[in-house]
Amino acid sequence: MPRDLLGLPRTIVMRAVPGPSPRALPRDLRLDFFRGGALICIFIDHIPGNYLNYFTLSAIGFSDAAEVFIFISGFTAALVYGRALATRGALIATVLVLRRAWQLYVAHIFLFVIFIAEVSYTVRTFNNPMYNEEMGVGDFLEHPHIAVVQAMVLQFQPTFLDILPLYIVLLLIFPVVLLCLRWQPMAVLAPSALVYLAVQVFGLDMPAYPPGSVWTFNPLAWQFLFVFGAVLGHGETQSPGRARLIGLVYWPALAIAAVALVIRLSWAFHGVWDAVPAFFLRQLWPVNKSNLSPIRLVSFFALVVLTARWVAPQARFLRAKAAWPVVLCGRHSLEIFCLSILLSALGHFLMSEINAGFGMQVAVNVVGVATMCLTAGVLDWYRAMQQMPAAPTARALSEGSGGEE
Amino acid sequence: MRICRGTVAGPVLAALASLAVMMTAAGSARAESEDCATPPELTEADVQLPRFAERLKARQPVTIVAIGGASTIGQAAGSPDLSYPHQLEQNLAKDFPASPVSVVNKGVPRQSAKQMLERFPTDVFAEDPVLVVWEVGITDAVRGTDVDDFAQTLQNGVEGLKNRAIDIILVDMQFSRSSTTVINFEGYLKALHRVGDLADVYVFPRFEMMHYWSEQNVFNFDDVAAEDRAKLAARVYDCLGQKLAQMIRRAVP
Repeated sequence: MPRDLLGLPRTIVMRAVPGPSPRALPRDLRLDFFRGGALICIFIDHIPGNYLNYFTLSAIGFSDAAEVFIFISGFTAALVYGRALATRGALIATVLVLRRAWQLYVAHIFLFVIFIAEVSYTVRTFNNPMYNEEMGVGDFLEHPHIAVVQAMVLQFQPTFLDILPLYIVLLLIFPVVLLCLRWQPMAVLAPSALVYLAVQVFGLDMPAYPPGSVWTFNPLAWQFLFVFGAVLGHGETQSPGRARLIGLVYWPALAIAAVALVIRLSWAFHGVWDAVPAFFLRQLWPVNKSNLSPIRLVSFFALVVLTARWVAPQARFLRAKAAWPVVLCGRHSLEIFCLSILLSALGHFLMSEINAGFGMQVAVNVVGVATMCLTAGVLDWYRAMQQMPAAPTARALSEGSGGEE
Repeated sequence: MRICRGTVAGPVLAALASLAVMMTAAGSARAESEDCATPPELTEADVQLPRFAERLKARQPVTIVAIGGASTIGQAAGSPDLSYPHQLEQNLAKDFPASPVSVVNKGVPRQSAKQMLERFPTDVFAEDPVLVVWEVGITDAVRGTDVDDFAQTLQNGVEGLKNRAIDIILVDMQFSRSSTTVINFEGYLKALHRVGDLADVYVFPRFEMMHYWSEQNVFNFDDVAAEDRAKLAARVYDCLGQKLAQMIRRAVP
């Protein structure tokens, strides 16, 4: 089986180029572009003290890159596997989804191994009396036999190892979601919304390891965003009905986005200069991320509506040369996500060990983003190369899959 | 001053507003060991501890609970007698001989803010303190608790203490260059200081103080021979106890 740079198995069924299915529209470049943008934001946001933090998605509203990532993942999952379901049946579609979940699981374990290496090395060479006790890092080195097993069952989620477990769980329930979607979208959306509401009202959460901690991304809450994305990604995505709906909510969305922008900017300026008032800081902050606070959700949906209205699926700027690297990052999201985590850890290390001056900031950000884009380019080239021989059987197999979800 | 950009301006402005208070405080400040010197902006804040001050004025006994993690119990120094809460008690006893001051140490290593909050009924409220010094955030940063959850927990804790008419001081994280290399403190520091700002609770800037000592080579936290570690920790705790006492004195007119 061919393998890509990260050693993840990849077969011809996961191609980016749409199959020759008569119903298939040209791939919606917005999905790749904005997911790629989200990955770049994740890289930037994970470096403490990075000035670019002020310019990522979280600066202009209450939501951040995590929402974009999960929403678009739900949307594309419905698009890709919905097509597989229509052309190849429920069994194959289910197998494809579970296969993808398995890839994510392998990536999770891969990141976990790197985490073990980093922590073990750090703790063994750590020479700091003030922190020796606190550096237990979730008691990992004291109970490795438990911690490793807990990581394998997704219960131990150290920093950075929290979003893939969410994604894996979401894909595990996705076959059921997909089947219900075909039958009646409300049969999925209504229960999903009810569970989300239950989390908001009763504060349900998912216990994690070590005892007393919870899942950083509460799957009971975040599933709603994924399912909502799936409902939108399923069926006619560019129908006149949907355009009318967007027209209807456009002005409220614009108002919400504008208010969120002003509030967030006031908080950012207040943080730098006290004299600037921070609007509603006392009332709104902190905005809960684990449970996907309704404030985040509404703020994010407003941005989605604006994006849908302002950016066409094949907008010219999405096809521009400058946007292409970002599109590629979004197209190879799993590999680029893993890479972004490693790069931000490296950037953090350089900035605290050497200096965090302007030059270093520029270097870390430029090199980091360039590495992500170049890697995405190599992955894309590799995938295209795999498709070159295009034997008739391979051609037939690729039919019905519109690309990586 | 890479971390905590936003937190310096606040105390500076607040301090300007209370210039008179500051000058009297400066006049009464005792000599402290050279080692512990910090730049003035780190000790300029206006500290308000009305109930604590009232007790002292009335010459009544005062109980302070110090709740926190390993650095509260004094683990690195080897004994709670060398911890900063104990040094704080010694300093306050000297300053306020008329009122018996006791600082109860409730440090438990490796506890998240949430776990500490769960201990409040038994470890804090049961002691009936007039002031709580809450040292918090290291374990959350090490484990990577969601920052907003962390902030919410702090707010719940602060609110619980306020509702019981208990004065509060928050103590932020410890600094060392090697720990900032592997742990992302920034978000937690910002959240902690913001909670303090919003609730009008003084946040003792331990992180910036230790950062300063590290930069000035007063203390080297990162390359310590095994046999010197406990000694270093004890000296740092001593300084922190002195500094905290200095800030608390400021709240008593």
